[in-house]
Amino acid sequence: MDTLAAAPDPDHLARRVREMIDNGQLNAARAVLAAVRRLSPPGPATAELAARLAIAAGQSDVAAAELDAAVAADPGHAGLRRLRADVRHRRGEHVPAAIDAAEAVVLDPHDASGKAILGVLMTELGRPADAVACLAEAVAAEPANPAYVEALAAAQAAGGATDLAAETLAAGIARCLGRVDLRNAAVLLAIRRRDFAAAEALAEAARRAGIADACLFGLLGHALSCLGRHADAADAYDAALKLGPHDPYVRHLVAAAGTLPGGDRAPSPYVRAVFEGYANRFEPHLVALGYRVPGLFRAALLRLAPWNATGEGAGPTLDLGCGTGLAGLALHDLPIRPLHGVDLAPRMLAQAAAKGIYASLREADILAVLAEPGPDYGLILAADVLCYFGALDPVLQAAFARMRPGGLMLVSTESPAPDEPDPPPWRLGPQGRFVHTAAYLRTEAEAAGFAVRCLAAETQRFENDAPVPGLLGILARP
Amino acid sequence: MTAEPVLDGLSHAEALGLLRAAAARTASPLTCLNLAIAEEHAGCPARGRRLLRELAALLPGWDEPPLRLGQSLRSAGRNAEAALAYDEALARNPIRPESLIARAALHLAAAEPESAHLMLIRCCGVAPERAEAWDLLGLTLQATGDEKLAETAFAEASRRAPRRLDYALHRVEASKRAGTADAELARLALAAAADPLNPVPLAASGVLLHRDGRREQAIEALEAAVALAPDDPALARLHAGLLARSPRVASAEAALARAIALDPADPALRNDHAAVLMRMHRHAEAREILQAVLDAQGPDASILCNLANATVNLGLHAEAEALARRAIALSPAAALPRRTLANVLPYCPGVGAAVLRDALAETAARLPRGPAPIHANSRDPDRKLRLGLLSGTLKTHPVGWLTVAGFETLDPAGFAVTCLSPPAGADPIARRFAALAEAWHDPTGLTDAALAERARGWGLDIVIDLGGYGDAGRMAALAHRLAPVQIKWVGMQTHSSGLPEMDWILTDRWETPPELERFYTERPLRLADGYVCYSPPPYAPDIAPLPAGRTGPVTFGCFNNLAKITADGLAVWADILRRTPGARLVLKCHQLADAPTADRLRAAFAAHGIDPVRIECRGGSGHRTLLGEYNDIDVALDPFPYSGGLTTCEALWMGVPTVTMPGESFASRHSASHLSNAGLADWVVPDRDRYVARAVAAAADLPALAALRAGLRAQVKASPLCDAPRFGRSLGAALRAAWRDWCARR
Repeated sequence: MDTLAAAPDPDHLARRVREMIDNGQLNAARAVLAAVRRLSPPGPATAELAARLAIAAGQSDVAAAELDAAVAADPGHAGLRRLRADVRHRRGEHVPAAIDAAEAVVLDPHDASGKAILGVLMTELGRPADAVACLAEAVAAEPANPAYVEALAAAQAAGGATDLAAETLAAGIARCLGRVDLRNAAVLLAIRRRDFAAAEALAEAARRAGIADACLFGLLGHALSCLGRHADAADAYDAALKLGPHDPYVRHLVAAAGTLPGGDRAPSPYVRAVFEGYANRFEPHLVALGYRVPGLFRAALLRLAPWNATGEGAGPTLDLGCGTGLAGLALHDLPIRPLHGVDLAPRMLAQAAAKGIYASLREADILAVLAEPGPDYGLILAADVLCYFGALDPVLQAAFARMRPGGLMLVSTESPAPDEPDPPPWRLGPQGRFVHTAAYLRTEAEAAGFAVRCLAAETQRFENDAPVPGLLGILARP
Repeated sequence: MTAEPVLDGLSHAEALGLLRAAAARTASPLTCLNLAIAEEHAGCPARGRRLLRELAALLPGWDEPPLRLGQSLRSAGRNAEAALAYDEALARNPIRPESLIARAALHLAAAEPESAHLMLIRCCGVAPERAEAWDLLGLTLQATGDEKLAETAFAEASRRAPRRLDYALHRVEASKRAGTADAELARLALAAAADPLNPVPLAASGVLLHRDGRREQAIEALEAAVALAPDDPALARLHAGLLARSPRVASAEAALARAIALDPADPALRNDHAAVLMRMHRHAEAREILQAVLDAQGPDASILCNLANATVNLGLHAEAEALARRAIALSPAAALPRRTLANVLPYCPGVGAAVLRDALAETAARLPRGPAPIHANSRDPDRKLRLGLLSGTLKTHPVGWLTVAGFETLDPAGFAVTCLSPPAGADPIARRFAALAEAWHDPTGLTDAALAERARGWGLDIVIDLGGYGDAGRMAALAHRLAPVQIKWVGMQTHSSGLPEMDWILTDRWETPPELERFYTERPLRLADGYVCYSPPPYAPDIAPLPAGRTGPVTFGCFNNLAKITADGLAVWADILRRTPGARLVLKCHQLADAPTADRLRAAFAAHGIDPVRIECRGGSGHRTLLGEYNDIDVALDPFPYSGGLTTCEALWMGVPTVTMPGESFASRHSASHLSNAGLADWVVPDRDRYVARAVAAAADLPALAALRAGLRAQVKASPLCDAPRFGRSLGAALRAAWRDWCARR
């Protein structure tokens, strides 16, 4: 056997690296990229490859460092700017991402992807009109790009133009017949508009065309369930389970429909999946829905002024299920520091971190954190988080154990509809969230040792202009 | 002193002429030596050797002539004479590395590793820079059982020649034997990082990862190595060989094509290529390649077996059977040719169930076995049982579609399921298996005996075989017994397994009526209804109205594999078409994408007097498209003697009834079972005349056909064929009965 003589062409190797990244062969890509680096001087093409590889490997910090150095060396390179915008976006750094994307559009005005990235960022920064302008240009340039179409529809919906969004998705579906993601987006939009008949029609059309996955059948089940057609919904959920037996979202929906035995809390993978999927849209979505809980918490704290009792701050504060940090944002100027956050969804935590108001943020299960030994808290916040628990005794008891005497726990819960006859103490609602009665919340809080200072019916937010009923609870450890 | 003939710019003949003249003129020893070497190069080795012998006699102190003589004799395969020549060279110069290495290699080939060892130690002492001496020393140490030292020697060889793939592969093998594979893998990673342009560490780690059963990582490492040295045939062969044994057939096909371009003469590569093409349903191309390899190589049993498989898949039954029998004649003691025959016979017309049973028993008898294991399973008849599912196809595949619903509905209080199958991946049916299973073990890479031992370690009480003698089947492992109770079910369930260690076959009253039991080596474990539960795909299209009348006269259809379409069946279908003027027949399967194959089929109909325009041949398609194409069909015609299984269920789900004629074998009765189970027993007929009559009558009563079609999906859905909970209870009861039988009998 002869000695192996390798004299590869760096351009060919770079193409292979790109293919390997696209095929998910990251170890192979890493090895060949090392060869490219040995053969070629550092430059934007190599940096771009390295950054793409790091993104594919989930190492956004490595990608960011690679791109920072490359952009510093070559600030006029549109591709690097676009990629850095993407990386910064993934890291929840929306404003710097938007700056990069805008720069990329200026440097290369004919490139649709830069406009699309900028558009997505504008949506997330709460500027839907700008977003629509960018994305409309991207879609005009590449009308068959489903990601652009979906982003444009999302921007239009965020700006309130849901009819236009539906039209955009319909046009996209007509152009990209095989794309299940567009079908799902259209069904989801119809459900959000509470047009369940349209949702069913869209889902059925997709099913008949054979463009259906677990998510589509799950959404169809949801729509049918809202139309009161529970037997049909069960069939749809059954199909969803067949296609996605492990999908936590589908399993939770199916459990909510009563087809599977339900657990007493939403599964962690479900919570993580839902919020990872919505991380970038979560905050504008909730604010657009008239999410009132942070404001209610702020008003309650200002009224009670617990810091007056201690003479110093009311903290340390633990924000359970802190998400993107909306509650923290509403409260952080009050004397409640240090503020610690815990959530299951890393992308939400990245957005919370970007706000710069938390002393610490942890990706962890709430019950696990509360079970740890550690300092006692003066204030515990549970904003829009108990709706992922059925039975509340474990979380209330665990929270009580971690509070110092005189400390406060602020909670929000969702309630059964006012006209529901004899609701059970708690049950899983069709939206996949648990609802609790006031009597149940009071009983469990008192059983845990809390004094219930306030339990007031409060609208949590508005969905399709309809108030979502709930409770604001102020619980004190005597 | 070394001497190389100076031949630059000259042809051998010219050089030879010059050297002969010079030697005659000068009689210089060096010129004579060059002449001897040139004679060898020019194809006159005898003349060269004569010169070398003369030179050796003339100059007894010079080691070059006997060394060259040894090389010449060794290359001619005359090892004993070569050894004497090297001994002579070494007597003249005991430290000449070339002589030491060559003589040691001859000792090693003659199973004299101790003698080889002495010479190599000497060589490595006097010429430590010679990497091949270290490599050979490693091989010698391996032969004497000193794995650790061997690894050290290979390490030295690799250090001195880091781009020699063979040295690196020897070191990989040594590390496996010495139990230091993890350390070697880590070292190779460092070596690759230190010299990223060297493909050897990447290739070696690929081989090592593959040996560890980490196939995907192995493929990645070899992909990277091939990217660095795309024109190296050895790397291309390794890479293609690995892909050929992976599920990634398209990548394998491309890699094999590249490897063959670099080394067109390698028969193993071409055999692999044909095997991969068959997995891609490109049987005609595979057959052509295999025939060419046979023509070039002469008869070879394993290639004949592959050729028989390709041939039967093209519907050439007699030819396929003859090929399998030739393979048996070549290799009568081997299991593979018997297995090939047993896999071909169920498709062949006129083969009775007794012949089939005997062929399967002959195959099973040739599987290796150890002593019968003793199972320590607790004999409690009512306890929860560990149920193992052994299959390479727990995924979107007939095995998956026909069994998953049954396992999903098995009472979890009574049974815990363990899947013995390659990893589930993203396949939707595989994910359903993953969701229902308590444990999942990948048997890939485990020998049959090792798999059986592991399975016994997992405490399996019952193992259900879902692979048979198919490509992904592990019947040879079942011969070692994985569990006290072994049951054959779907998955190349053409007939009896013929395996004495297979205790039961899952069946039903239509598949195995009492009068056919004698054709089985297993006991029948009959389910209450049909022997499978069909799990219709959620994405199946809606049923369109009857095409007849809408698009013209009646359209018959058969979407079964071409292997099932026999000359007998074709004659019967031609008869039906003759009696149904204007009717058409749509045939659809992967093989018909090949135009010559489709032409051959149409010509066969023409020979029966049927206008070929009435025969429409369609190639393969995606599953949903295939289902949708039943909207073009009024009546399905079942092939015989090998009937449709999943295909018949799918036709029913799409509103199309199937005419079927069961025979004696299990494979011939699938449709009869499914149709009877779904309430369509009146489509099951006993002979050819009534087969023709049933099809013609159906075509003549379109209103009845339309009415049946309109309600058929609902009928099938409500029938036991699709009633998963009912099936799960029946399956559970049957498995419990088999278990109780074992508890009671021993």
